[in-house]
Formats: sequence, C-alpha cells, structure tokens
Amino acid sequence: MSRPSSGIDWSPRGSSPLREYLEVLAVIAVVTAAGSFAPLTYHALGHIYLLAVIALCLRVGRGPALFAAVVSAVAWNFVFIPPHLSFTVLDFDDALLLGIYFVVALTAGQLTARIRAQQRAEHRREQRATALFHLTRAMAGARTLDEAVGAAVRQADELFHARTAVLLVGASGELTPHPAGSFPLDEAELTVAASVWRTGREAGRFTGERPGATGLHLPMLRAGVCLGVLVVGLPGEAVLTTVEQRELLEGFAAQIALQVEREQLRVASEREKLLAESDRLHRTLLDSVSHELRTPLAVLRSATENLARDDGARRPHLMAEIRTATSRLDHLVGNLLDQTRLESGAIKPQLDWCDVRDLIAAARRGLGEALAAHPLKTEFPLEMPLFMADAALMEHVLSNLLLNGALHTPEGSPLTVTAGLAGDGGRVFITVADRGPGIPPAMRGQVFQKFHRAGATRTGGLGLGLSIVRGFVLAQGGEVVADDNPGGGARFTVYLPHALHGSVPNE
Amino acid sequence: MNGDTAKPRVLVVDDETQIRRLLSFTLEDAGYEVRQAGTGQAGLAEVVHSHPDAIILDLGLPDMTGIEVLKRLREWSATPVLILSVFGQEGSKIAGLDAGADDYLTKPFAGGELLARLRALLRRAKPAEVASTVEFGSIKVDLERRRVTKGGEVVKLTAKEYAFLRLLVAHRDRVLTHRQILNDLWGPKAERQTHYLRVFMMRLRRKLEDEPDAPKYFQTESGIGYRLVCDGS
Repeated sequence: MSRPSSGIDWSPRGSSPLREYLEVLAVIAVVTAAGSFAPLTYHALGHIYLLAVIALCLRVGRGPALFAAVVSAVAWNFVFIPPHLSFTVLDFDDALLLGIYFVVALTAGQLTARIRAQQRAEHRREQRATALFHLTRAMAGARTLDEAVGAAVRQADELFHARTAVLLVGASGELTPHPAGSFPLDEAELTVAASVWRTGREAGRFTGERPGATGLHLPMLRAGVCLGVLVVGLPGEAVLTTVEQRELLEGFAAQIALQVEREQLRVASEREKLLAESDRLHRTLLDSVSHELRTPLAVLRSATENLARDDGARRPHLMAEIRTATSRLDHLVGNLLDQTRLESGAIKPQLDWCDVRDLIAAARRGLGEALAAHPLKTEFPLEMPLFMADAALMEHVLSNLLLNGALHTPEGSPLTVTAGLAGDGGRVFITVADRGPGIPPAMRGQVFQKFHRAGATRTGGLGLGLSIVRGFVLAQGGEVVADDNPGGGARFTVYLPHALHGSVPNE
Repeated sequence: MNGDTAKPRVLVVDDETQIRRLLSFTLEDAGYEVRQAGTGQAGLAEVVHSHPDAIILDLGLPDMTGIEVLKRLREWSATPVLILSVFGQEGSKIAGLDAGADDYLTKPFAGGELLARLRALLRRAKPAEVASTVEFGSIKVDLERRRVTKGGEVVKLTAKEYAFLRLLVAHRDRVLTHRQILNDLWGPKAERQTHYLRVFMMRLRRKLEDEPDAPKYFQTESGIGYRLVCDGS
C-alpha cells in the first residue's frame, strides 16, 4: 500500500512575523554596509536595494514585504542620496528617483508576495488532492467495509499526524466505534459524537459546538443522511487554521461515508439475491420432492391394484416394479435424511481404521440390483494402507458415487474403483470413474451443490447424492473433486488424511 | 422352552401395527408361531408369559427405548434378541449389541434376510446342534481337527488366523462386533485396535475367498463388525 509522501503541517502558518521583520532589517543593513565600501554611484545602489527587496519578498509575507520597501527607501535616502546621512533630498531629480524607487519596490514586493501566497495555496491543494487520492485508492483496494475503514484510519493517522476514530451505525441501530480506530473515545467524546450523528453538524475542538472536546467530530454525510461520525484527535499544539485543511478532513469523512453507503447497498442487494435464490431452491425442492416421492408411490399403488386382479401371468413383473419402487423410495428418503443430518450438524464421524476393500464391498452389497447393469472393476495396490474414516459414512459416500455413475451412464458401461496413496504421501485417494458422457468443466463446481441435477430430463433423484458425498467427506476431514476420466467419462476422487497405524502383532 | 416338535415361537415388539402384521405373515409362512407387543412394557410381560424362543425388538418404542427393554430383559433372560433400527443409528446398534442383543437389522430389510438372521439366532440357542465341521461354499472347517480346506485343498492358516476363523464360524450368520472379536482374540486391552482386525480379515479373505475384494462369506458390517455368511438362502 502506498503512503502519502508527507504529512500535513498543523503548526501555525509559516515562520513568525517578527523573524521575517528582523530578516528584512538584516538584509537591508548588509546591503547598506556593503554599499558604503563599494565604489558605486547611489543610482546603481538603488537597483541593488530593489534586487534585495524582491529577493526578500520571495521569502517573507506581505507585511514584511511592505516593511522592506519602506526601510530600503529610507536607508538609501539617508545613507547614499546626497547630502549623506540626512533625510533631506536637495535635487528634484533625486526626489523623483526616490519616489519612483519606493513605488516600484512596493509594487514588486507586493506582487512577489502574492505569487508566493498563490504558490502556497496551490501546494496545499495538491497535497489535499494527493491525500484524497491515496485515501480513495486505499479504500478501493479493500474487500470489506472493515478493511476500508481500517485503511481510512491508517491514512488519516499518517496524513494528519493524528489519532482517528470512526463511528458507524451497527446492526443494533446504535452508533458504535469501529474497532479499527486508533483514537480511544471516552464517555465525553462519545456524547459529542452522538450529538453530531443526531444533528449532522460538526462539533468538538476547532468548532463553535462543544469546543472543549479533545477530538474534532465530523459527520459522515451522504445525501443528507448521517451514516456515521469521523473523530480526529489532533496533536495538542495543532491549530486548525486554513479552509483547505478543514475541507480535507470533510473530504475524508465524505469518502468513508461513500464507502459505507456502498457497503450497505451491497449487503442489501446480496440479501435480495439470497432471498430470491432460497425461494427458487424451495420451489425446486418442493417440485422435485413431490415428483420423486409420488412416482414410486403411484407405482406401488398401481402395482398392488393390478396384483389384486391379476391371474398370475404378470405377477413377476408387478413384483419387480414394486421392488424397484421401494428401493427408489428407500434411497430417496435415506438421502433426504442424510442431507438433513448434514445441515443440522448432527454428523459426528466415528473415525476408525478402514480398509477400502471393505468399504467398497459393503457399498456394493447395499446397492444390490442398482449396480447389476454395470460391471464394476476394482484396482487396489497390494499394499493399500488402512486409513482413518467413519466406515458407515464412507459406505454412503461410495454407494452414492457408484450409483451416480450407474445413473449417468448407459447400461453395460463399466465403473472402475481405484485407490492408493496420493503423490505427497499424506493422503489416500479413492476414485470412482465411469465411461459416460463426463462432466463439462464449467459444471464441475456445481455438481456437488444440493439439488443440482445433470440435465433436465434425467430422473436421477433429488440431486442430493453428490452433495451428501461432499458433506460426508468434508466431515471426515477429506476432500472430493470431479474431473475427466482419462479416455472418457467422469471421475470422482475422494481424498482422506493418511496416518500410520500401530504395528499388528503377528501371532 | 418348547419341545422339538412344536413350532419355534417368536415375539415381535414394535409399535407399528403394519410392521407387526407383515412380520407375522413372513414369520408364520416360515413356520414360526408369532406373538406381538406394541410397547416395551407389553413386550417384557409377553416374554414372561409366553417364553418365546427369539425376540425381534424395535429400538424406537413409545414407552421406553429398545436398549432399556434389552437391559431389563437381560437381567433374567438369555432369549436371543434381534434388534431393528434405521440408518444413522450406528451408535445405538452398537449399544444394543453391547447391551446383549444377538444381532441387528437395518430397516427397511428384506424378508429373506430376517429369516436368515433368525435361523442363526435359534441355532445358537441350541448348543446341541454345534457341528464339528462347518461348510460354506467350497470351504470346509473341521473344528475338531483344526483343518481348513478350500475345494479339497488344505489352506494353511496361522494360529491367530485360525482363531479368528473359528470365532466367526462359531457365530456364523451373526454379527460380531469389533470389540467382541478383539476382546476374544487379543484380550480386553486391545479393544480399540481395530486395525488388527482389518489386517487379519484381509489375510483370511485372501486365503479363503474367491474374490477377496468382493467377499461372499467374510462380510463387513460398516462401523459395527463382521459377519460370516454361510446361510445362502
């Protein structure tokens, strides 16, 4: 983060006038002394005086500039214009010369002083613009309101050599100091800040309102609404003099207010978006739950009715339909319960040593006929290590992945399960790969979201399977990723932490 | 106890009437005499009254938990108990098995599975039937001569492997929890060393199963224990 190149000087404006007057006297005295020894005419010396006056005016204020013109004219007249060491001017030419000298010295001096004053103002304006620019840049780089306030406080502290506090309206509707502030506010300061927030007018030190306070309290206004209060605690000797300095502080307050307002709008729009999203989710959920639950129920009802009047020929088919419908219902209700358990935080993994072969065998057994149409190949290294996991959760993870593969690939398409120690040795991996259409890269982030379903037409349940997979894997300290199966299809890889178990007594 | 000729008597304790009725059909068709109870209290009273040969107990009852019923029952009765539970209750399954249940089934289950479990329970209740050789598939375990053959060929097992196998055979078709096995084979100090089991089970499967990665007989009950499945029906 860049810093303002220098702070702003709060000390009383410039050097003291007395010093400037003395400086003027000293310079004129030097010129006069030098002139007395130099073999020059008093005409030439008049020009040297003029030069000295202009040079002085580049350094001093208007008062001393005027003083320089007067003193130099008097000195020139008294010391050099004949008669010497007298204020009397004998010659008309000399009187004219002295008069013109005085007017020129006065004009040149005043003009020079004005240019200098303008230059100073310019410099202050530039400083202010730079300061605001730094502030804006620091705040724009912030990702959150807290960061932005922190950046503003740091900038203000450096720039004004001050301690700063920002008070914002919290969720409770009360004005509360932001933790990033560097200016601790006592009871009295908080009261001042509260009154500023109510009235929208500045108060505290350097103002007409409660000037006894330690800090200068500035309202942070946006469109007439006070969004908070900026409190600047300036060093003890500081005297707030120029309009520019006051404006700079107000600029700071306005800049923070802008950021606060932006944040409020962002939060509001985010909430809006969330509401819309949850509304959409609810509708989807209701639609699909009702569809997914009612379809097997309708099958069951119709199949049993048919059974009642069947003469026996269709019996095996009807029974098969009933079996399919019940296992579909069973799976669906199981997934709904799993998802609910995940969301309620009721999943407490019971970690124990697991053998991937056990888990796969159990998952296969649980799936039964759902996998019948898909040959399953397993490839495990002979020295496949055991790992810590919750066997029941892992069984669900693997059966959901296998079922997912079976549902999204044509009949007869093979599924492959592999496992091993991941490259870094710190994790074990289990992959479930298929030879189906695969997952487009753009969709990979979404497949683990709940209620996500591949394509609109497939009846793959509620779209909870992979969401449960991820939830269960995360609960066990693992990770699951989806990518391409080399050679075609989708591949899911579950990573779990790997640890070494104690030795096993041989006999 | 009932005589050999009488039908074995089964008590079903479940608060769902439909489940009780359908279980009754299944059990009666299989040759059992069925008694029913809808609450834990009624169930305990029925045990006193009718002396069933086996009890099927639902873990979720209206008046008391199945675990409580089990604990009270075990104070005075050794009748085999099969508990019914749903997924997500691994903890209560283990609690039930620790409290003295002999096996469990997860709802929803198939009728064939229930009958197989029940047969295994009743076999345990009749020690006279313990055979000196047990066969499953092409595997033959001769408990008397400590000989194991597969397809007629002798399979060499280490002493611990054989002890594990013998334990599974003695409890065939019934679940054995990790704790029970570890306690039996390595003593109570090893009750948490489940990796012993994984390693030895892997060795047994490699020696005895046709497809060690898709075991037919040596089955894992995820999170609970193991079961040697011999009853193919």
